[in-house]
Amino acid sequence: MMNTSALPSMLDHTRRKSESDAAHPLLKVENLSVRFDGAPAGINVVDDVSFAVAKGRTLCIVGESGCGKSVTALALMGLLPTPPARIVGGRALFDGKDLLALPDRERADMRGNQTAMIFQEPMTSLNPVFTVGDQITEGILRHRKISKAAASERALEMLRRVRIPAPEKRMRAFPHELSGGMRQRVMIAMALANEPQLLIADEPTTALDVTIQAQIIALIHQLQKESGMAMILITHDLGVVAEVADEVVVMYAGRVVESGPVEDIFADPQHPYTIGLMGSVPSLGRRQGRLTTIPGTVPPAELMPRGCRFSPRCPFADQRCVSDPPPLIELSPGHRARCWYAPLELHREPIR
Amino acid sequence: MNTQASDIIIESTGLVKHFGGGGLLSSPTIVRAVDGVSMAVKRGETFAIVGESGCGKSTLGRLLLRLIEPTAGDVRYEGRSILGLPPNEMRKLRREMQIIFQDPFGSLNPRMNVRDIVGEPIWLHGLAHGAEKQERVADLLRTVGLIPAHGERYPHEFSGGQRQRIGIARALAGEPKLIIGDEPVSALDVSIQAQIINLLEHLKDRFGLTLVIIAHDLAVIRHMSDRVAVMYLGEIVELSDTDDLFDDPLHPYTQALLTAIPVPSPVNRQPKPLLQGDVPSPAAPPSGCRFHTRCPHAKARCREEHPRLEAAADGRQVACHFWREIQNAGSGALTAPPASPALTKRLALYKTWRERHDKTATPGL
Ligand SMILES: Nc1ncnc2c1ncn2[C@@H]1O[C@H](COP(=O)(O)OP(=O)(O)OP(=O)(O)O)[C@@H](O)[C@H]1O
Ligand SMILES: Nc1ncnc2c1ncn2[C@@H]1O[C@H](COP(=O)(O)OP(=O)(O)O)[C@@H](O)[C@H]1O
Ligand code: SF4
Ligand code: SF4
Ligand SMILES: [Mg+2]
Ligand SMILES: [Mg+2]
Repeated sequence: MMNTSALPSMLDHTRRKSESDAAHPLLKVENLSVRFDGAPAGINVVDDVSFAVAKGRTLCIVGESGCGKSVTALALMGLLPTPPARIVGGRALFDGKDLLALPDRERADMRGNQTAMIFQEPMTSLNPVFTVGDQITEGILRHRKISKAAASERALEMLRRVRIPAPEKRMRAFPHELSGGMRQRVMIAMALANEPQLLIADEPTTALDVTIQAQIIALIHQLQKESGMAMILITHDLGVVAEVADEVVVMYAGRVVESGPVEDIFADPQHPYTIGLMGSVPSLGRRQGRLTTIPGTVPPAELMPRGCRFSPRCPFADQRCVSDPPPLIELSPGHRARCWYAPLELHREPIR
Repeated sequence: MNTQASDIIIESTGLVKHFGGGGLLSSPTIVRAVDGVSMAVKRGETFAIVGESGCGKSTLGRLLLRLIEPTAGDVRYEGRSILGLPPNEMRKLRREMQIIFQDPFGSLNPRMNVRDIVGEPIWLHGLAHGAEKQERVADLLRTVGLIPAHGERYPHEFSGGQRQRIGIARALAGEPKLIIGDEPVSALDVSIQAQIINLLEHLKDRFGLTLVIIAHDLAVIRHMSDRVAVMYLGEIVELSDTDDLFDDPLHPYTQALLTAIPVPSPVNRQPKPLLQGDVPSPAAPPSGCRFHTRCPHAKARCREEHPRLEAAADGRQVACHFWREIQNAGSGALTAPPASPALTKRLALYKTWRERHDKTATPGL
């Protein structure tokens, strides 16, 4: 009943460190920009976003809702609604090919095969009128030249691998007959059925209870270890980031404001937004006074500041921040922050 | 905190709510949403109710306010049963007992502007009229960190956090003594969640409120509440002071909940024992101890005999046959990793600069 072997790969820190195939990433996103029709001139909803993921590694993208996390993911999967969304710059090299420039046909071939995506709400991607078994089987047949019986056998095997109890019975179930956690497992089974090299999971556990969330995260991690696929995990839960990420990208209002190895992000957070986010999360330890907060909300496109996009909410902002957008600066190897005044203690005196 | 009877603002005894048994469904399944809950909330405290989805938290909250009628049991507010109260007396009481919902989008009337939404309880209870009423509404909006000009706008023109502020302003309008928050911050981003948590705490101090917070985020509960009731399938399985519960959880289910929380530190990642399986259906709860199908400590007795909620040390209560033995196993306590020195230093800097910023800019929460 208790599963003690939940997250074995996490212990393997030596592997994590030494395996620096960051130089040979599976996916390399460079200067991705996406614009919505009707937005003010020069205001991109995803702006100049770059990151890379290597085989077997996990990149987490964090940020408040509306920061462009899902738009980034959809752009990579070729699923952006166009119009209104348009890719206005950048490339995404996957295995040497630019995902953003592929003909639609090739993209569709790739999706669900070499790349796969899991969404926050599984019901949006499960068809309510087909059984779970039929849907997974169908996904396999779309990309593989095997018999229906063999595909169906593989679908059953996938349900077993995501540890759905009584999988034979569940093959014949309709999505609405399953609990939220079970549906998310079905989604995972479907996404992994063709052994993708890259999995993008967009808030896969946000709608779930903490006990189910822990099961799903452990499962994804285990399957990733078995298959060696790369993963982009989008989440707003810093706890999940700390548990599974190798690399972290913090997004704010469409831009990367901080990125780096997970150890650096937690040990040495540099951007005021990252610091504010960490202060907003209640501690699991004994209470230490009121929470630190970030005032206000993410600005809509019409009100997007021209300088640092975080400046209206940043306690350290000055005139320079308001007028000039700060560049993303490398502060230590692989650790970057987009702030004129990082590290803060060198530029901002304590106030008594 | 002392425990005189007069300090209890609201309490339930043997509260039961069963849904179904007829109605839409062809089979007469009965959902045991709340099944024999006895608890007492002390005046001035923040009392939390936690548990997985479907365990009956919202149903319990609605029963306490008599928004729905119980199948059995009693609810006493300030010492008096509210179940037999005639409608006019119940209406007077409603002023003192308010609720805030999880979904700020669904809980505000989209056709009313904010001034009318917030002003409605004032009008309903005849607390003020005309200019005085408008002044109160403006005051309430300022109190929750909005501006009076927002009164002219409609709910869809606001963000999630702002809508939650509107819901809070409306709840405050009747000058309540007790506010029940049904997942008041669950739908919000952490940054906005922190703003609303601080606002609720500020209002609680300022108006001497009693808060009952329904939540499934244990970190939020640890931060906000004085005492916690842990629910599983319609029953309270553990009830305790918050720090005791987190430092030394007694019930195996509480232990499992705490273990499942992701630990916000990437160093020393440990494999952890996770609870397997889903919550069983409340229409067919397991025999004996309802947790036995998922409990790592279950024995034969657990399948047959239902454990009572019994008293433990320090005013705690726990419903498990074997809690003494299990407690000695010492599992489940939460070790919160300390924040890194760099984060601690920069957070302190951030806080002082924020305070200065707030003094010079418009005050807000
Ligand atoms: N009006 C109703 N008719 C029938 N069943 C109901 C009704 N309201 C609630 N239930 C059932 O009662 C049980 C408890 O529901 P409740 O909403 O109290 O759970 P909860 O703990 O608040 O869950 P969540 O965390 O998902 O909000 C569930 O099984 C639910 O489906
Ligand atoms: N179809 C659309 N039309 C117009 N704006 C959109 C559309 N989809 C998303 N947006 C906007 O793009 C921004 C980023 O959204 P999204 O990527 O979904 O954020 P996140 O996933 O970080 O919460 C938001 O401001 C959102 O309102
Ligand atoms: S550049 Fe200025 S406004 Fe932007 S995060 Fe840094 S200090 Fe704040
Ligand atoms: S009574 Fe038995 S099954 Fe229930 S929590 Fe205690 S040990 Fe587990
Ligand atoms: Mg999203
Ligand atoms: Mg509820």
